[in-house]
Amino acid sequence: MPIHEQSLIRPENIRTHDELVLDGIDVSGHWSTFIEPRVVTDYNEALEDEIAALPGGENIHRCWQCGSCTNSCTVNAVNPDFNPRYWIYLIRMGMESELLRDRDIIWQCVSCNKCTYACPRDVEPEGVMKATAHWLEKKGHTPKSPSIIFDEIFADQVIARGKIEESSIIRKFLKRTGQPLMQDWLIAMARGLLMKLPVGLMRRMGLAMLFRPRTAGWSKARAALEEYVEECEREQRRALGLGNGKPE
Amino acid sequence: MTGPVLVVGGGPAGLAAAEALSGVGRNAVLVEKEDRLGGAPILSGYAKLVPTGEWAKDAIGGMAARVEADAAVDVRTGCTVKEFGGEPGAFTATLSDGSTVEAPAAILCTGFTHFDSVNKPEWGFGSFPDVVTTTQVEQMISSGQGVRCPSDGRTPKRVAILLCVGSRDRQIGREWCSKICCTVSANIAMEIREELPDCHVYIYYMDIRTFGLYETSYYWRSQEEFKVKYIKARIAEVTSDGERLIVKGEDTLVKRPITIPFDMVVHAIGMDPNVDNLLLSSIFGVELEPHGNIARQSAYGGMGRTSRPGVFVAGAATGPETIDDSIAQANAAAIAALGAGRAATGPKAARKAA
Repeated sequence: MPIHEQSLIRPENIRTHDELVLDGIDVSGHWSTFIEPRVVTDYNEALEDEIAALPGGENIHRCWQCGSCTNSCTVNAVNPDFNPRYWIYLIRMGMESELLRDRDIIWQCVSCNKCTYACPRDVEPEGVMKATAHWLEKKGHTPKSPSIIFDEIFADQVIARGKIEESSIIRKFLKRTGQPLMQDWLIAMARGLLMKLPVGLMRRMGLAMLFRPRTAGWSKARAALEEYVEECEREQRRALGLGNGKPE
Repeated sequence: MTGPVLVVGGGPAGLAAAEALSGVGRNAVLVEKEDRLGGAPILSGYAKLVPTGEWAKDAIGGMAARVEADAAVDVRTGCTVKEFGGEPGAFTATLSDGSTVEAPAAILCTGFTHFDSVNKPEWGFGSFPDVVTTTQVEQMISSGQGVRCPSDGRTPKRVAILLCVGSRDRQIGREWCSKICCTVSANIAMEIREELPDCHVYIYYMDIRTFGLYETSYYWRSQEEFKVKYIKARIAEVTSDGERLIVKGEDTLVKRPITIPFDMVVHAIGMDPNVDNLLLSSIFGVELEPHGNIARQSAYGGMGRTSRPGVFVAGAATGPETIDDSIAQANAAAIAALGAGRAATGPKAARKAA
């Protein structure tokens, strides 16, 4: 039997059973194909507020669904399923389960900000995409993306010492993302540095690698930064209903 | 031209017409079929008015009090016009109490009738007590009782407002947009959120027509300050699971059917032509336009003229209208009535005569 409006049926909603008896009637085989309803049965009234509480999501309530963001979107041009306008609507109306279906696409935003310039309501859709990706991660719906992991290592080091030491960032990043340290590009770069860098600079780099110096008088700045970051984290976790404990 | 101008209808337009006539030293006879003045805002118990947020009983009630105290206005409540004849400058109206009024001109401010929601049975009005109209919510607010579910008096946790109930609907012969309901609904939604901060309000719409400056002060203010949600869906039916109302429809922006529970459903009812318009048309000898409202002869020059010289019209008698525009039209009609049947004077007229 042909199925009308097949495009509206999601493959995961089609249920088949090789052997099935309903009310004493054998409905195995052809007749055991059922379609799960795709009806929205409730709204999550907290969803918009949660996204709005994360950096970038503050202006989501301004959206009037014109679609300028999706029309201007770099990623949408190659993947029509990447649709910021649609996700903003789902978030505003609280259709959480619909949003979660796209959890593996939302992070793909390349932050080109064409939507930011196209948006007539100053929603800053790029920021909303960022906030939504963070929301998915904080709620445990998606694993931390490599870029989030990199940002964390980078920020941790800046806060700890007031400066960064590239080799340790790269080592930690490769380790936490499960990649081998001996990468061809890394070996080539190290070899190039050894051959071409002036001796004085090489010495300073080596010393920095070994002793990891801090910016002079950093401890006060560090304490202030740590306090601020913790406060932001606490505020976000509270807004997302994740309790007041420190992040893992 | 001498004698009082006959004003029919004591709502915002009629009150404004009488006040305008009195203001330029002309007497008026104001005929109102109900036992008190004020029209729909008073008789139907509206709460806070668009756009100023003043209470109807202060704003329109104030107009009524001024007219009642005005020596130049002869107020006849509980009274209708039975017969109307004569020529511009010399009309005679016979009233239901048997008296007659000699008037050089008449202004019809006979208003509209609220759409009766029982004509849309699929949306549950009349079947479920917690399905109410915008007018009923206005009454809950203006009476001080507050917004409560009529079935058991509980405070609603979630309210749906359905737009275009009795408007833009060929199915029931009402093809017009009632013009005010989007803004009124946004206003009511904000009042509900103000009274009940824990109650979520959803507005189901086809298009939003909070025209002109209401875009910011109602459409966006309701979303940005009061977190009212607007969902693009024409509701198919309102049923009940025995405890709460179930609203079914399709969210057209996500191509997804919806079946959502609500505590209260509010019909944003439209403005019908006054149910008495056929009678008024035959008594006053004025034509109706195709929707059944009193037809205006011109939109530009001679505002407020009907098909009958000397008889003018203002306000929602001409079609869905806001209160402030009704009042403006009444002032225009009063000016037109003053000039009716009066020979022009002044230098240009003198040149013409010579």
